[in-house]
Amino acid sequence: MNQEPVVIKGTRDGISIILRHQSDFDTIKNKIFEKLQRGGEFFKGGQARLLVKEGYVSQDELEQLETMLRDFGLHLRKDKPLRTITFPGSPQPDTLILKKTLRSGQRIAYRGNVVIVGDANPGSEIIAKGDILVFGTLRGMAHAGAEGDGNSIVAAYRLQPIQLRIAHVISRPPEEKSDMPQGPEVARLKDGIIIIEPYYLI
Amino acid sequence: MGQVIVITSGKGGVGKTTTTANIGTGLALLKHRKVVMIDADIGLRNLDVVMGLENRIVYDLVDVVQGVCRLKQALIRDKRFENLYLLPAAQTKDKTAVSPEQMKDLCDQLREEFDYVLVDCPAGIEQGFKNAIAGADKAIIVSTPEVSAVRDADRVIGLLEAAGFEEPKLIINRIRPDMVKRGDMMDIDDIIDILAVDLLGVIPEDERIVISTNRGEPAVADENSKAGQAYRNVTRRIEGEDVPIMSLDVEPTLMERLRMLFGLKPRK
Repeated sequence: MNQEPVVIKGTRDGISIILRHQSDFDTIKNKIFEKLQRGGEFFKGGQARLLVKEGYVSQDELEQLETMLRDFGLHLRKDKPLRTITFPGSPQPDTLILKKTLRSGQRIAYRGNVVIVGDANPGSEIIAKGDILVFGTLRGMAHAGAEGDGNSIVAAYRLQPIQLRIAHVISRPPEEKSDMPQGPEVARLKDGIIIIEPYYLI
Repeated sequence: MGQVIVITSGKGGVGKTTTTANIGTGLALLKHRKVVMIDADIGLRNLDVVMGLENRIVYDLVDVVQGVCRLKQALIRDKRFENLYLLPAAQTKDKTAVSPEQMKDLCDQLREEFDYVLVDCPAGIEQGFKNAIAGADKAIIVSTPEVSAVRDADRVIGLLEAAGFEEPKLIINRIRPDMVKRGDMMDIDDIIDILAVDLLGVIPEDERIVISTNRGEPAVADENSKAGQAYRNVTRRIEGEDVPIMSLDVEPTLMERLRMLFGLKPRK
């Protein structure tokens, strides 16, 4: 098997990228990159098609290829994306899922959404570019939309944070002891302040 | 091969040393296990005082590690309890006198000969803590029902988990049933809810602990001490026995008894 995993052929309506046998995606990506780089400006403005002879390419991988080809000025035609597979129910690539209790002094910072299956205890910090969901009790500090996205939310099965931040707004619970809410709640920004609502209102 | 258990808490003054002394004594006294207690609090040693063995120290942990003496020479045998030994800390050095690797070697040597090696951890999460946990395979967390102690316990459990400890066990110390009943103190459920670990025991506040600590006689050997009873239960749980958590009900006050007499619900 000395065969190249990737072959690029010129056709009438652009180039065809043929994946001849199964290999890990990073190798394939690098091969395509090398080949296209040798071509320099030659491919600019052209069309590309992807043919998969063996194996498969996931939806996520296809998008990565598309982005890479765009950098070379190539448009990936997706009229016949052969054998691409989207995994049903697989997490979005920009979501971090943690199945653990986040304890005092532990800090999670992620450029995406963060889902904690467990509690986030007082003294812990969760900082996310996107939304924060806690399937448990949120008692620590949570900062959603940390890069400025005011549409981000913080939701928890029990929302009892020490402090909440969404985008550039900081809030803390009222000093007087109010009754503990008995259900899941969602915090979001409305007119520049953080409001907290029971979950079913969303 | 014995097991090495570290007793830790994060916060100071919650009863790590008292707990180490009582569990160690309990295992030796009630279960006839061969036990050695290591005081890892170098520079601030206490375990020897609580055990009443201060005047018998010749060599200490740092001497052993630095090769000044043999391990056997530094071990103090407690004459009151068969099979109970103490490896005292040095008082004139500090935590940097020992490295985690050296502590691990030491614990591994001791576990060859003893059923239980109990390490009394210093407060804090720095070098002393890292030394104390280095050689241990199990951990007991001590906390009092105070928000700050529970917070520190949570932090320490996180660090232990990161260091590969599975399921640390919790001892809640110095609980006052009367204050819990009035709602002035965190109750056991509140603490367990936050820390999410198994409960090894609940030790009630007991004046006799102060007396026994000052006298250097562990309360676990005192039949009349409530805390001693609680520590005896902890000892049995460590040995795998299924002992229910001691009921901490307090006597109803006169007012409450009157209310009950008239069929009124006791005030919460």
